[in-house]
Formats: sequence, structure tokens, C-alpha cells
Amino acid sequence: MIEIDEDKLIRCPVCDAVNIDKGKKNACRRCGSAIYHHRSFSTEKSWAYLITAMIAYIPANLYPMLVTSAFGTKDESTIIGGVVMLWEHGSYPVAVIIFFASIVIPVLKFLILIYLLISVKYPLGKDKKVNKHKLYYMTEVIGPWSMIDVFVVAILAALIHLSNVEILAGTAATAFAISVFFTLLAAHAFDETLIKENR
Amino acid sequence: MKIENEDALDNFVICHKCFTLNEETPIKDGSKACCSECGGVLYRYDSKLIDHGLALSITGFIFFVLANLFPLIQIDILGSEQFITIPKTIFSLLDNGFYIVGLICAFLIFIFPLMIFVINMLLFMLLKIGHGEKLTKELLVLLSHITPWSMADIFFISILVALVKLVAFGQIHIGVAFWALMIFVLIDIYITKSIHLSEIWMLRKRILLNEDEK
Repeated sequence: MIEIDEDKLIRCPVCDAVNIDKGKKNACRRCGSAIYHHRSFSTEKSWAYLITAMIAYIPANLYPMLVTSAFGTKDESTIIGGVVMLWEHGSYPVAVIIFFASIVIPVLKFLILIYLLISVKYPLGKDKKVNKHKLYYMTEVIGPWSMIDVFVVAILAALIHLSNVEILAGTAATAFAISVFFTLLAAHAFDETLIKENR
Repeated sequence: MKIENEDALDNFVICHKCFTLNEETPIKDGSKACCSECGGVLYRYDSKLIDHGLALSITGFIFFVLANLFPLIQIDILGSEQFITIPKTIFSLLDNGFYIVGLICAFLIFIFPLMIFVINMLLFMLLKIGHGEKLTKELLVLLSHITPWSMADIFFISILVALVKLVAFGQIHIGVAFWALMIFVLIDIYITKSIHLSEIWMLRKRILLNEDEK
């Protein structure tokens, strides 16, 4: 018989097995994955990914996402420009989807991750009522959906490929894909057990 | 809280959504257990999980192959016909110098979804014949690492969005692969929603580890 504190039980991020928190070198008893190694720099990895993602998000909004060249005239549109154009053409649902996927979700995810990363290190006092586990779960679920715009650009660029009319992906596509990629990495690198410790 | 040994922790489960500790209780075949705090699904019990999983992953794999072989969308534009397939979308990005986006897309919409279904097939086959204790472990760990990166469902929604944008350009025909991809995505969603990894872990424990003790 061993006696354990219920608060010392943690979940393995890989296989979901319940483990006893043994401190510095936790290895999951079922799958052997490390649960976390670095107590001293627990949030730094996530911060690094997140800052990279935020830097990549700036050119993603400034450069054109989609370059349409038809009969010699070139038309470049940024992410916001694309949304505005769709709205003016009357495709409201699609405009809303793109707006949410490319602007609301990434920004929301940055803010939530920043809040989580700060609040696990410096408890703000008032945030005890917020369920941070649910917040984190939400970022994991909505995160990948911001890839929609990149995929749409890829489909359009592959399909419209004539000598007269051509659609090309713009610089922003690369920047945006990198941004989403690093936000996902940042979310995965975030150590959920830290939330519990600072509750 | 007192427990016999560390393995007794398998009788507990921590909720995915809110991190609440729940004790596992036996439930009826085909039903699900929900979290006491937030009501999120903790686990399901399916006595024929192996057969169901195997059938679903083979079906999904077939539809994935179909979705990649045939054209997704075809468009008549200025008198010429253009079509895309999933591999063609990726290669067109690479050809135009978008190596990073092309590579990311290749992994997210082709390699990872394919890997998930191949791994699922292997896993359920190994469990069915009751072999490969180490291999199933490696596969399960790999599976949990790549599952969040598979974006076939998001790609499907992107096609719908692209269709709306394309209406202005010309006559659009929807190809066979579009429907195949739709079925693939539905199966993919069904598998990730209904078969949790922890259930396969428990199944593996019951089938592979207990036999060694005997």
C-alpha cells in the first residue's frame, strides 16, 4: 500500500495514463515518455515558439496572400483585403469563415497562450475563477483551423494555371503557414501540469 | 488516497478538458462515461473495439487512396479544362518555389493522415493476433504525436471555401475524389471522436500483457 496525495497525480500528455508526480525526472509508467524534464525553464520553450509565431504573423498580414494575374494586370490581395473583397461580393459566410480562421483564431490563440504562460508563473490573484484547463483545451481544438486560408490559396494556385489567367500564392502564405506551425508547437510545448501547481 | 501499487492508477482517469480526477467504473457495452465536473467524454466501452477499429481504418485507407488518385475539382475556364488532385496541389506549391508551405501541406494533408490510418490498421491487426508488445507501444506513442497534426478535415472545408471563390472563374465540376475525401474525413472524425487512445492502451494491457503472466 502506498499513500498518495490526489493533487500529485498528473496525466501523461502522450498516452493519458495517470501518473504520480515524482518531481524532476518523470517518465510515464505506461509509455515511457518524459512528462517534463525542465523544471527550471518550464515555460521558456513555449515562449520561444510563441514569439516566433507572432513575428511571422506580421509579414503574413502585410504581404499579399494571393496574386491574381489576368490578361496582364496583376491584382494582389492581403488576408484582410481578401476578406473585405469577399464581403463586398456578397459571400458573407465565406468572408466570416476566412475572417475567423485567419484573424480571430490566431490572435485569440496568441492572447490565450500569453495569458496562460504569464499566469502560471505569476498568479494574478483574480484569475482563480477562470478554468485554465478548459482555456488550454480550447486553444488546442481551434488552433489548426487557421490553416484554412493557406489550403485555399494552395487549391486556387494549383487549379487556376493558364497563360492568361493565373493565381499565385503570395509571400504571406509562407509567413502564415510558419506562424500557424509555431503556434501549434507553442501550444504543445505548454506544460499543462503547471496550471495545477499554481491553482 | 490509498492505492495498492502504481498499476492501480489505471483505474483512474483524468479528464481531457478540465483535468479532474475520475475513478473508472465498469459501464455497459456501447455506452460512454462522462466527467463528473464538466461532462466531457472520458472513455467508452466497446466489446468489439478491435473489429470495429480494423474495419473503420481499412475503409478509411481505401477512401484515402481513392481521394488521392482521382481529380478533386475540375474547372472549365476560357475553353480549357483544369483539374487538381491532392498530390497535384502539393507539387504545384513546390514547383512554384513555395517549399516551406508545400512541405507543411504535404505533411498535414497527405503524410500524417496516411500514417494515422496505416498505424491504426497495424495496431488493430497486431491486437487481433495478440502479438507485438513493444511494437504496439511504439505505434501508440507515434500515433499520439501525429494525431494533432493531421488536417484532412480542415483541408476539406478549405475546398468548400475555394469552391465559392472559384464560381467567378468558370464552370466547376466536382470530381470523384471530392466525395471520397468527404467519406474519408467523416471516418477520420468518427475514429478520433469514438476511439480514444487510452482505450487502445487498456485493450493492449488486457490482451498483450496479461498473456505474458499466464
